[in-house]
Amino acid sequence: MTETLILTWKDRMRIERAVWTLDSYLRNLPRKSRIAKRRELRVNLRAASADVGVNEALRRLGNIRTMAAEYLVTEYGGPGPSWIVTTYFLFAAFYFMIWFENARIDAFKAGAIAANPHLTGTFHFTGVAYVFTNDVFIFTNGKVSEVGGTLLPLVYLCIFALAVLVGRLWRAIPAVRQRSLGAING
Amino acid sequence: MYFLNVTPTHDPQLLKGVLSLLLLQMLAQRESYGYELVQRLHEIGLSDISDGTVYPALGRLERESRVSARLVSSHSGPARKYYRPTAAGYAALAEGVTGWLAFVEVTNPVLLHPIPTQPGPPNEEVFDD
Repeated sequence: MTETLILTWKDRMRIERAVWTLDSYLRNLPRKSRIAKRRELRVNLRAASADVGVNEALRRLGNIRTMAAEYLVTEYGGPGPSWIVTTYFLFAAFYFMIWFENARIDAFKAGAIAANPHLTGTFHFTGVAYVFTNDVFIFTNGKVSEVGGTLLPLVYLCIFALAVLVGRLWRAIPAVRQRSLGAING
Repeated sequence: MYFLNVTPTHDPQLLKGVLSLLLLQMLAQRESYGYELVQRLHEIGLSDISDGTVYPALGRLERESRVSARLVSSHSGPARKYYRPTAAGYAALAEGVTGWLAFVEVTNPVLLHPIPTQPGPPNEEVFDD
């Protein structure tokens, strides 16, 4: 193939856009594999553009998301693990648990102060079974400090287990990956 | 009677099943890079196959160690990734071609019959309710 490449900067930008769109869908692939696919697609698109023009080259590429899905099936036997989804899930889960515990604590404090603005004494507030430890509130003339109310280890365990499920992290294990690919290829 | 005189369009699922074999055969004939293979597929009449189907298929063959790849510098831009079949690729190709030909041998006698406009009566006697 002896085509000559005369690509304008606009053509190059459009090719780069397609290349990086594919890359964004392949973010779960190992970095090395992603870079190799980017390079190969760029070279192929440049060759196709020199042959039939950028518009036609991009049209013939088809749906980039579908193409990325094919690459992921090749690599993982399915959609593959998602570290981003796992990270989002962990942030959301811990944010929610902390918000929930703070809401409980604030409600208790507000109730106690409303009943007696100059409250003094030590109070125990039962935690949520299997979720939060008990709280101890020390009121001194309406001022309050508190101890406890932390997440129990079981909650951490459950959140991490759910994060693994939500992000399909087991697909990152090489043995599982091979088994999935074996099932697909028969 | 209908006859098979319509313009052939290729069922994507059917193409997908045989694409690996076509790629292996073409690479056995001549080492090629991704876009060159797409062009060769178009030349044999598979013009409706998208480039985005061929590139992942090549990746799959490479991952299955049926093809190996090497970078060859190009006068018109960055180095291109050229593929060629491995020993496992040649074995898979031979096995695949045998399987395909056996399949065609069985299905062709049925499929090449002219298509009747309506089905004939069943072999058994039918009683209407």
